[in-house]
Amino acid sequence: MSAVVYLDNAATTPVDPRVIAAMLECLGTEGDFANPAAVAHEPGRRAHRRVEQARAEVAALVGADPAQVVWTSGATEADNFALLGAARFYAPRGRHLVTSRTEHPAVLAACRQLEREGFEVTYLKPGPDGIVSPGQVEAALRPDTILVSLMHVNNEIGVIQDVGSVGRLCRARGILFHVDAAQSAGKLPIDVERDCIDLLALTAHKLHGPKGVGALCVRREPRLGLVPLLHGGGQERGLRPGTLATHQVVGMGAACRIAVEEGDEDRVRITALRERLWQGLVTLPGVTLNGHATQRAPGILSVTVDGVEGESLLYSLPGFAVASGSACATTSAEPSYVLRALGRSDRLAQSSLRLSLGRYTTSGEIEQAVQAIRAAVERLRAVAPPGTAT
Amino acid sequence: MSPDDPRYGPEVRRRMAGLAGAGDLPPGGDLVRATAGDREQGAEVVLQVQVTAGRAQQLRFRAFGCPHFLAAASWLTERLRGAGRAEFSDWDWREAATALEVPPAKYGRLLVLQDVVRAVAGNWPGDGESTV
Repeated sequence: MSAVVYLDNAATTPVDPRVIAAMLECLGTEGDFANPAAVAHEPGRRAHRRVEQARAEVAALVGADPAQVVWTSGATEADNFALLGAARFYAPRGRHLVTSRTEHPAVLAACRQLEREGFEVTYLKPGPDGIVSPGQVEAALRPDTILVSLMHVNNEIGVIQDVGSVGRLCRARGILFHVDAAQSAGKLPIDVERDCIDLLALTAHKLHGPKGVGALCVRREPRLGLVPLLHGGGQERGLRPGTLATHQVVGMGAACRIAVEEGDEDRVRITALRERLWQGLVTLPGVTLNGHATQRAPGILSVTVDGVEGESLLYSLPGFAVASGSACATTSAEPSYVLRALGRSDRLAQSSLRLSLGRYTTSGEIEQAVQAIRAAVERLRAVAPPGTAT
Repeated sequence: MSPDDPRYGPEVRRRMAGLAGAGDLPPGGDLVRATAGDREQGAEVVLQVQVTAGRAQQLRFRAFGCPHFLAAASWLTERLRGAGRAEFSDWDWREAATALEVPPAKYGRLLVLQDVVRAVAGNWPGDGESTV
């Protein structure tokens, strides 16, 4: 058993034992292991029923119809499919997209690919609080804009974008709206109908499901066109061919079902823990919150600790799994592009920590984290040259 | 950081555990002090050397930077104890790179240490303060 306190739930979460149990039912000779497309025989039909049940569970989490759910390998594939598939389909209508500078690389890299294909992309700069206002989006729209992409919750700083307002203004103009909900699904209410979301990217492993499976919810009424990324059999109505990994999608379904049943309770408890963590750190001089003070997801706390170098701070927390504000502390220590987009200097971006809580985070672990971070900061500041926040 | 983190060699781990040599020397006598680096660039160091009879009697450092940089500054306070001005002038960062198994991506930070060591030599002894 690891003694490490895990506070990196925004990177991935441990799989819920109930999810594991559901997945195991789809493995082994006695399980629902058959190819879910092989409905000509009973084992195949059993697997097919499990897949469709999972599809309904995913749909229920986000207010979608089960027929809208297309299985993918995760949110990266779902984001790529949404952006590339929709842009290529609707290219005759226009070749302009709008997104923000603080999107996940899965969206930004897909946009770069579209630029190579001749599309234009407007990258909106969020305010210092990390929020992209609906007014900014509206001002960026053009007659040839075909799609707007905005993440619901930022993976680094946890701020919540007003996707409902953006969705409504896009819907009123006939522009597609894609939302990356990898960090929000199961943690915040989201409803594709209410929020006028045409394409919603999901992943299982951020909500205590397995890695390697996700989904893209695709608007059906009126039907939305997508050019597939993959070509093969006719699975997923030809949108995403390939034999479905029954145990994976069943695991995602179970994770979504649990999130529906327990999400409210988790949200209240995790928000309280995050607030306790923040209160324990904010009294340290030079500690500032990254992102909006209240418009934020329950489980993500990003702080800048002025006067402390980020890699040394991480080094000084050996019993804790946390993330830094560096893209890669191993070699280049390149500062986070998200924090830089918020106006943080390279130094401050590198002096940042992301602490992300989950279903299994305990109050005792939060107390340990507060004490350890405070001690590490004080030790590193004690050896720093004058000028450090004290 | 776990004990088996491959990014940090044993000397870095040992140094980071205690940060020996961190702090300040009491003012007075032949105390040489120099600074180098820039916090905005991720590495800043202050080196203080008590010079007695032409030799570095005591050294202390203050530093802002990554674990390799802090550990190298700590290592330096022992490595240069007893050294004379010429050794300070000639000191080369590659010695620290080898001793602490510093990865190439961090070599630039060791140059900051070389700057501060040579600045101390430039002030030797009792020339006041030099900033590189």
